[in-house]
Order: sequence, then C-alpha cells, then structure tokens
Amino acid sequence: MVRFHPDARFLTDYAAGSLPVSQALCVATHLHYCPGCRLRVGELTELGAELFMQQQPAAAVDGPSFEKLLTRIATRPAMGTPQAGATSDSKVSSLPRTLHKLAGANLEKVKWNKVGSKFRYARLNVGDRARETSLLDIKAGGSVPHHRHQGDEITVLLKGSFSDQEGKYVVGDFIVRTKGETHRPVASQDQDCLCLAALDAPIVMSNWLVRLGLRLLNRQKAA
Amino acid sequence: MLTGLLRTMDFDSDSQDTATLTDDRVQHWIACVQKVAEKQDTAAFRELFDHFSPMVKSFAWKVPSLDHPDTFAEELLQETMLKVWTKAASFDPKLASPSTWIFTIARNMRIDLLRKQARHVVNSVSLYQDDEDGELDLEDIWFEDENSDVFNLLAQQRSRRQIHESLKLLPAEQTEVLVKVYLEDKSHAEVAAELKLPLGTVKSRVRLALNKLKLVVDR
Repeated sequence: MVRFHPDARFLTDYAAGSLPVSQALCVATHLHYCPGCRLRVGELTELGAELFMQQQPAAAVDGPSFEKLLTRIATRPAMGTPQAGATSDSKVSSLPRTLHKLAGANLEKVKWNKVGSKFRYARLNVGDRARETSLLDIKAGGSVPHHRHQGDEITVLLKGSFSDQEGKYVVGDFIVRTKGETHRPVASQDQDCLCLAALDAPIVMSNWLVRLGLRLLNRQKAA
Repeated sequence: MLTGLLRTMDFDSDSQDTATLTDDRVQHWIACVQKVAEKQDTAAFRELFDHFSPMVKSFAWKVPSLDHPDTFAEELLQETMLKVWTKAASFDPKLASPSTWIFTIARNMRIDLLRKQARHVVNSVSLYQDDEDGELDLEDIWFEDENSDVFNLLAQQRSRRQIHESLKLLPAEQTEVLVKVYLEDKSHAEVAAELKLPLGTVKSRVRLALNKLKLVVDR
C-alpha cells in the first residue's frame, strides 16, 4: 500500500503542465501505482480545463488558419494503423509505462554504471538539463552513505523496499528530500531495491552519483 | 444516457437546470468530435475550431517572454487542432468532456513546443553540442487519457460545476496564483520568485483555493 504521496504543489504543477519534466516523470510514475492521486490529478485537470475555458478569448481566428490546417490534414502522410508489437503492453513488463521508452519495459535499454558491489545507477535522458534523472539499483542489504542534498531530490520506489530514519518505504512511494536534509537509505536485507530519482543539479551535470559511489567504494576498501 | 445518470443524482432544481444546459452543450461538442472521427466531417471540425481556437491562442499568448508570440500562438493552434483531428477516433466521451480533452492536448502541445524552443536556444549558445532529444515521449508522462478508470465523465462534470461556481468566490490573490500556475506555465517555485513571496505562501494560497473549490487535497 502506497503511503507517501506527492503533495498538492506537485500534483497541481503536474496537472497544469508547469512541473519540470524530470519531476513530472516521477509524479506520473507514482500515478501508475496510486489510484487516489490519479483521482486528484483528474480533478486538478478539470480545474485547468475550467480556467482554460474561462480565459478572455482571443479574437476569432481567421479563415486562412483553418484553410492551412485542412491543407495539412489533406497532405499529411497516411497514418499507419498502430503496429502490432509497437507497444510493449503485450509482453510482461516489470516497469511502469512511463519508463518504457527511457529504460525498456524490462530495463533492457538501461546502461548501468556499476559502483562498488551493491550499488549501480543509470542516467535517463529526459532532456531536463537542470536535473539529473536516474535509476538507482541497490542490492539487498546495501546502503547509500549519509549524504546531504544540495538540491531537492524526489525518489519513487519501483521494486523492493528501503528504509531511512523516517521509516520504511514500499513500491510506489513518492519521497521528497529537500536541500540540506541528510539521510541514509538502506535497502531491505532480502531483496534488491530499484528507484527512480530526480535530483536538482543546478550547475554542472552533477557528479553526485559518482561521488556517492566513490565514497561507497572507499568505505568498502577501508572496511 | 448521461442525462439519465445525472437525474439519478440529488440536485436541487437550480443546479438541475445548469446541469441540463451544460449537458446539452457538452453533448453537442461530443457529437462534433464523433463526426470528425467517423466521417472526417470538416463542418463539425470547423465548429470545434471556431469554438476552441480563441482559447488555444489565449493560452499560447500567456506564456511569458516569448520572442514571437503570434508565431508561437499560430503554431500551438495548428498543432493542437491537427491533433484533435488525428486523435478524434480515440476520444472517449465516457472518460472526458471535449473541453477537458482539448485542454490536455493544448497543454501537452505547449509543453512540447516550449521544450523544442528551449533546446534550440540552448544548442545555439551551448558549449556542449548535445542534444539528445531526450528519449522521451511526452504522452507517456502527461497522459491524454489520465482521467480513465477512477474519474469518469459523471464525476468530472460534478466537479466541473462545483469548480465553475466556486471560482467566482475565490479571493483575488488565490485566483492570481492559480492563473499563473495553469495558464502562464509557471511552477509554484516560479510564481513565488515572480511575486517575491516565500514558496510556502504560494503553496498555502493554492491549498486554500483547492479547499474552497472542494477539490481533494492532501490526505
């Protein structure tokens, strides 16, 4: 049972379309697991539609614009019928639909960067330069060292479970850690943990994960 | 069928009138979309175009700091209405009203066009020569059928009437924030920066507004 949800701020910005795309990916992925939040987003989309229809309308749009549209419709390439197998719905998928194009239905597109024996990550290219969007894979019993957040981080749990000082998280949970917060997530002992994470990386395409990985590696060497 | 469903609900006589009126108009736009889907009916398409395109253009113009607002507005209009034509067959009146459907298409096309513009600007000044379009289909994130399963047309229309009535009663500062978030393409954080308010104040204005509109907020 999902316990942690995006708050009204995230859901409203998502429904409005103003949420940065990497964070929107996290919200949409949470929605896959959470009917309650889907209901909220449905309502918030109605609010958007109402505000949209209540706008002061622009002057009636002229004929040429419509003619141009009809010409485009008449000359556009024939729409192929959706090809069988084009969607991955038919096969068993271990990931939500939101991640299929980015990662493959079963992670087959993912290029892992292995750091140490219990942690690896894969960047997802969502075209959001201000943030780093990644899949994190922590092996059973593995942990991430204490780290402080330089920016906001959103994590959505996709498989397994992990816990930190705030408690235990299950699949579908949407966890926000804000700048300055410190935490140390630990994967469950009995299963691997897979997360989607969007991290604010204000200046450089951050090396946060690499630094994190190196620290993890150093610890293991020291141990 | 819908009218039948609405009658089973407990409206007072006033709101029943409103309901019927709204319902008739909704049914009309549903019929137009269906004619486009089934018969490629350009007259019905023209009606949809005349009714919705001024809204789409207004929606485009509200984006701040566009270099060429008129060009952008025309492009958004073309792309949105083209999608209305090509997707008409997948429109399901049990899941969404036409205005909600068209709003979600316009919203998604606006996100798409703004992303393309941003990429263009970034690439022309950037030291690194990516991009990299992003291996992403926006429709996988901002679904056009997001109201499915749990939020059917009946629930939508009830909520829509509620929103319609209550929006008039909101204090100006709350409406202002909603308009910025929904129409001007600004996140809470951007609205806070623009109005020189703490993020918490913007969040609480939105939250108060959602409460007044009787929308489900946080549990």
